[in-house]
Amino acid sequence: MRNIFIIARRDLRAQFNSPVAYVVIGGTMLLLGLLFFLVPHMAVAGVAVGGFWEIDRATMDEMFTCLPPLMSLFVIPAVTMRSLAAEKGSGTLELLITMPVRDSEVILGKYVASCAVVLILLASTLLYPFAMFKWPWHLGALDWGPVWAGYIGCVFFSFAAVGVGMMLSSLTESDVIAFFMTSASLVGLYVVGLLAASVNWGVLGDALQFVSFSTRYQSFTRGLIDTRALVYFLSVTIVCLLVSFRSLESRKWS
Amino acid sequence: MANDVMIYASDLSKTFGSFRALDKINFEVKRGEIVGFLGPNGAGKSTTMRILTCFISPTGGSARVNGHDVFDESLKVRESLGYLPQRAPLYLEMSVLEYLRFAADLRHLDDATFRKRAKSVVEVCGLAQVLGKEIRHLSHGYRQRVGLGQALIHDPPILILDEPTSDLDPNEKAEFLDYLKQIGKERTVLLSTHNLAEVEASCARAIIVSRGRIVADGPLDEIRAKSGRVRYVVSIQESAGTGAYRGRGTPPKKVEVEEALGKLDGVKKVGELPTDERAHMYELVSEQEVDLRPEAFKLIVDKGWVMLELHRDSQTLEDVFRSLTIGDERRNRQLTASGQAQGADDDEDDDAAEDEDEDEAESPKSADASADAKVAKDERS
Repeated sequence: MRNIFIIARRDLRAQFNSPVAYVVIGGTMLLLGLLFFLVPHMAVAGVAVGGFWEIDRATMDEMFTCLPPLMSLFVIPAVTMRSLAAEKGSGTLELLITMPVRDSEVILGKYVASCAVVLILLASTLLYPFAMFKWPWHLGALDWGPVWAGYIGCVFFSFAAVGVGMMLSSLTESDVIAFFMTSASLVGLYVVGLLAASVNWGVLGDALQFVSFSTRYQSFTRGLIDTRALVYFLSVTIVCLLVSFRSLESRKWS
Repeated sequence: MANDVMIYASDLSKTFGSFRALDKINFEVKRGEIVGFLGPNGAGKSTTMRILTCFISPTGGSARVNGHDVFDESLKVRESLGYLPQRAPLYLEMSVLEYLRFAADLRHLDDATFRKRAKSVVEVCGLAQVLGKEIRHLSHGYRQRVGLGQALIHDPPILILDEPTSDLDPNEKAEFLDYLKQIGKERTVLLSTHNLAEVEASCARAIIVSRGRIVADGPLDEIRAKSGRVRYVVSIQESAGTGAYRGRGTPPKKVEVEEALGKLDGVKKVGELPTDERAHMYELVSEQEVDLRPEAFKLIVDKGWVMLELHRDSQTLEDVFRSLTIGDERRNRQLTASGQAQGADDDEDDDAAEDEDEDEAESPKSADASADAKVAKDERS
């Protein structure tokens, strides 16, 4: 346990010692603001109904619609790309692994650190609802239920997505490749559900919707905490961490 | 297994796909020994070290470090050793002190012990000036010192250092070797390097590996004596130039000198060394027991030649290393350079190949080396 914490603390410091974490968090906040206020919301059945000011409702729905795609596209790939791929590439992994730590502690430590960065980002986005509806502005009476449900959804979505990122990062030695593989996989996993929902693909469509992150996540944006989705996200996390662990272990036998 | 055997490898093998990186190597390192682990690039030095430090697993055989099996008790093995991998891969964004603390934390040192150990590590590794600096801003030499510092932070009984001096300047190297001798008194050190002078300066024993096999293992003197040869260098004047020739009659021809020297008792081989046109320098190789100098001197006086130089060289560790591992080099050349390049190198290689033939005849110990030579010869023909 202690080693996990030590490794996580080091990784977290490394993220904040480099510009990556700041750029990712700052960039996401900025993009989120632009999307939220200026880009028309697709609230009702994919029909554009106008930006935040036009729809005239005290709601944060749009933020929770935008967050997962943004995180899939660049936040999580940027946060996880360095966790194992860069360490393998630069050789620092050899020094870390030859210290008295278990492989599983290395994987978990790095996973915790990446999750922490993403959670810090999610915590920063709380600034929007608080600033708009609590202090300094009171733009209306916000229903906080869906907001908290949305955050729970985002947190579990992040757990799974960071797991996918870790897994792909453990399979390569280049952080650039890790970034693009993670980005492509997460966006793919997200989009495939939306696609399957709009086209009638029969059994294949059902299967795609079952595995897609977007179908699992959608209930949260409506304020519903779906335990099936929580179990699904946690299962994906565990599988991905197990694969990362095996992939790290495979160095011994290759 | 005796208690004071700190590192023990038995039939250790490792294959990467079809490439056999280690082929059943056996060795022991005892408490308090500093052992130089020598070999050309790709001979299996780093692979052995990575197995001993539990980074990779062997394909066959077993290894024990401080009495613990590297496979079954890998945490205990890693607790008892300090390891510096090649080129000291460190976290560049950390400061030196942060890095040392990170290493100490993972080794579960408490704060007071860390402070005490850090003080001594900073002193011996010369890190006082750079403690607060980020590692990315340090020179390679300093990075290597930091790497050594993290390996020593928990005061381990065993140190495994993979080419620790490769990035140091000559002054730093000398300092490092002095320091190594100092810390090696109560520790077991396994040190890999290409630099034979370093081994001669710091180690009492060396293990030479070539193509994944151990070709020599023992005290340096023993290894040096392994080929049992001594070299004499004789320089004879062949042209007086514009000045008067001081010898009897006319200066001798090269063939004549070579033939006469070759006939001396105890001479096994005469070779010509590069010189200018006025003099020729010859290399005589003999058995160690016989001193050739009196005979050579007498011959030269009898013939009335002008001798410019006569001296005896003991076989250096470098020569032994070259003759034991020459097969590797030759194999590399054949893989990379075809036909012409090899032809150009042939002259130079002849001597070495012949040397190895003689090894075979005189010393059963160097069976491995002569096997290499045979392979090399076969490849050539």
